[in-house]
Amino acid sequence: MVYVLVAVSILVFAILAITSKRLLVSAIWLAVTSALSALMFYMLGAVQVAVIELSVGAGLVTVLFVFAINISGEEALNLKPIMPKPLAWGLVAIAAALAIYLIISGGGLSFALGNTTEEAPSILWGGRYMDIILQIALIFSGVLGVLGLLSEGKPEVQKEDEE
Amino acid sequence: MSISLILILLVIGLPWLGALVLRLVSDEHEKAQHILAVVFSALAGAAALFLLKYVSKDTVIKLSAGTVFGDFTFLADGLGVFLTVIATVIGCLAVVFSVDYMHGEHQIGRYYSLVLFFIGAMAGLVLTSNMLLMFFFWEITALCSYALISFNNDDPKAVRGGMKALIITSVGGVGLLLGAMLILLYSSSLDFNTLLANPSILPTGIKALLAFGLLIAAAAKSAQFPFQTWLPDAMEAPSPISALIHAATMVNAGVYLLARFFPAFKDVPYWREAVMVVGVLSALMAAIMALTSNDLKRVLAYSTVSQLGYMVYAIGAGSVFASQFHLFSHSIFKALLFLGAGAVIHSVGTRDMRQMGGVGKKLPLVKWVFIIGSLALAGIPVLNGFWSKEMVLEAGLHAGLNGGLVYYSIMVFVAGLTALYTLRAVWMVFYGEPRSEYHAHPTGLAMKIALIPLAIGAVVSWLLVGRFSLMLGANSLPYHGIEAFGLKELFHEIIALPTLIPLGVIALGILCWVFREKLSGLAKAFNWLRWLAEHSFGFEGINTGIVNATQGAAEGLRVTQTGYLSYNLLAVVGTLVIFFVLLAIGA
Amino acid sequence: MNSLPIPFIVILAILSLAGVGIYCLLATRNMIRVIIGLQLIVKGVAMAFILGGNMTSNISLGQTMALTVIVADTIVAVIGLAFAVQVRHRMGTLDIKELSTLKR
Repeated sequence: MVYVLVAVSILVFAILAITSKRLLVSAIWLAVTSALSALMFYMLGAVQVAVIELSVGAGLVTVLFVFAINISGEEALNLKPIMPKPLAWGLVAIAAALAIYLIISGGGLSFALGNTTEEAPSILWGGRYMDIILQIALIFSGVLGVLGLLSEGKPEVQKEDEE
Repeated sequence: MSISLILILLVIGLPWLGALVLRLVSDEHEKAQHILAVVFSALAGAAALFLLKYVSKDTVIKLSAGTVFGDFTFLADGLGVFLTVIATVIGCLAVVFSVDYMHGEHQIGRYYSLVLFFIGAMAGLVLTSNMLLMFFFWEITALCSYALISFNNDDPKAVRGGMKALIITSVGGVGLLLGAMLILLYSSSLDFNTLLANPSILPTGIKALLAFGLLIAAAAKSAQFPFQTWLPDAMEAPSPISALIHAATMVNAGVYLLARFFPAFKDVPYWREAVMVVGVLSALMAAIMALTSNDLKRVLAYSTVSQLGYMVYAIGAGSVFASQFHLFSHSIFKALLFLGAGAVIHSVGTRDMRQMGGVGKKLPLVKWVFIIGSLALAGIPVLNGFWSKEMVLEAGLHAGLNGGLVYYSIMVFVAGLTALYTLRAVWMVFYGEPRSEYHAHPTGLAMKIALIPLAIGAVVSWLLVGRFSLMLGANSLPYHGIEAFGLKELFHEIIALPTLIPLGVIALGILCWVFREKLSGLAKAFNWLRWLAEHSFGFEGINTGIVNATQGAAEGLRVTQTGYLSYNLLAVVGTLVIFFVLLAIGA
Repeated sequence: MNSLPIPFIVILAILSLAGVGIYCLLATRNMIRVIIGLQLIVKGVAMAFILGGNMTSNISLGQTMALTVIVADTIVAVIGLAFAVQVRHRMGTLDIKELSTLKR
């Protein structure tokens, strides 16, 4: 029962997140969606992933969004989307319906709750150490990205005067 | 952590680190850029020279990359380390030369970072034994070559030359990838040592396919027949680039490929004959085209194709050692010639030889080093070109294949042509009276520092033949069967009767030039040949056709790349729906 | 409702997250909304990894893949937002249709 509740509220808040007119409000709904999906992760047995998702998704990313939206300002863009909305909705709905159909007809949804607080780190460091190396590289580039977030850059007017 | 592991990491990693660093240094600190580039390339050269001590056939680095692609292995065997030393040391000298040549140009940071990136990739190409990694490094060298040829990207000729080089060498890349996939399929590992140890792993049909595919890849990369037209057009690149990439390193990658896989393919029927034919045709056609060209760098480019033809011919004849020895000598004297030509062009301002003449009086050092390089190219005794070219011809004489003697005589004739066009170039540039008004400003110090070690090398590098053969011997290349070959054997083999024939033809070539006025009547009779050569025997048409077709197709398909995220995602979701429908129907 | 198996409900949640995210990517013109859409998709993907790990009894592998994916996506959000700020500062607009040409 809890599962159904969480799943439905994830759907509701996700739709709210993308249909809000103001970007700040979208960011808040995104944070709520993150929290709810962290709850879902916990119910599926992935405790560490849930904690990280909560702190990163609902914390760090939301703060970054608020920061970026405040710096770049909000425009009230009421522009036509690049492709007609019904087409987009229709495609996504068809894809989702087909996926559900395939899964139902495939059958055999066996399930085991996760209970592995000890094993996950050893797999991470043992078999998937390439992943760790790539994540470290990614974090370095993330640091460079934060520098980009904060830098001012040369104003454009002066460059045109030089040329 | 063995020393060779650290050295291999340094040889590949230092230039790449330098490339990254130079990207971050802005173009306002030009002096810092020059110094950094020289320092990084010199350190890489030193690491490569240290690596010479640790040549062995053992795998040095082994990174497991899952079960699909096998292990990423690096090993420091003789063939690899020798090419690494050439790439890094000549790379360092080319960078030193660029300090003067590129003084005051725009975007020097981009230039140096591309050069360093290239040097690291070339070192990686020859030090790895995993075919997928080899393809990866191969494509990086092709990318850097394109980017450096069209470095002056406001000049449409340079851009065209770069695109042509990229498209034609990519054909080679496809051949290499195909070869890698075939090896993976049939021997379930991407390491070519498993193929070399046991060539009968592959069924004969597949092996023949692989052999000829790799021959095409090597021919495309080394500008051999029928792909030879990209190299002369790549001469729009700055001269240090021509020296490094198109004389001493990247074009050697094709010859390296053939040499590496020789033990596996030498029993494939008609493969050795095909290799010899490719070499002979390239050497002959390029020598004739060099004779009719008036652009100094194009003459050198054609002569590179011709000498690479000699190396390919040697492999076909069965002597990997002769071809690698000639590669060694050729890298040194060709880099010397290109750098010397660069010094001349930089100071005179034109590439057309008809407008030069008498440059020797103004630039004496360049004249002497250029003469040393040309003597080596022509195969005059005592210089390193003589010894290695004679070894190639000896190998050809003892080849024992069908038509071997015909090929041998053609190659001897080409040796004479080589002497002729070299002398012609030297004469037209350095001697005589100036044929047009030009202002020759003196060569800078950095250019002299780069030229002198190469000139010394051209004179004495053949003395290292004993060490060289030990390096390529059974300790490091267990499947190639190269025996020790010291100076004594060298003298014994060369100072023998068969050597006199090429020497005689070379002397004949020199005499032809000296008496050129008297022979001008004979030259007129060959005017049809001159016309054919100027149109590069029709191959230019084929290659231009290929390039135009590729670019036309790309332009036509450009409509589908709107760049809008929505359309791309639409395609993704649409394909997903189609896929689901197919699955649903199929189930 | 109680007879629906748990994996099915979770799959519905995954599909809704991924679907809403993809719809957002298809139908928006603001760069920051694009990043919001990406975040939604990745949450769905992480959930899918965990569920997949549970269902094929490879539980730890599923959780570590989910972790990796979350880290990667966070970095994407950081760099994407840095991009958006700089683009807004230099080009003055966040409209991806106007920004779709490289040379301005």
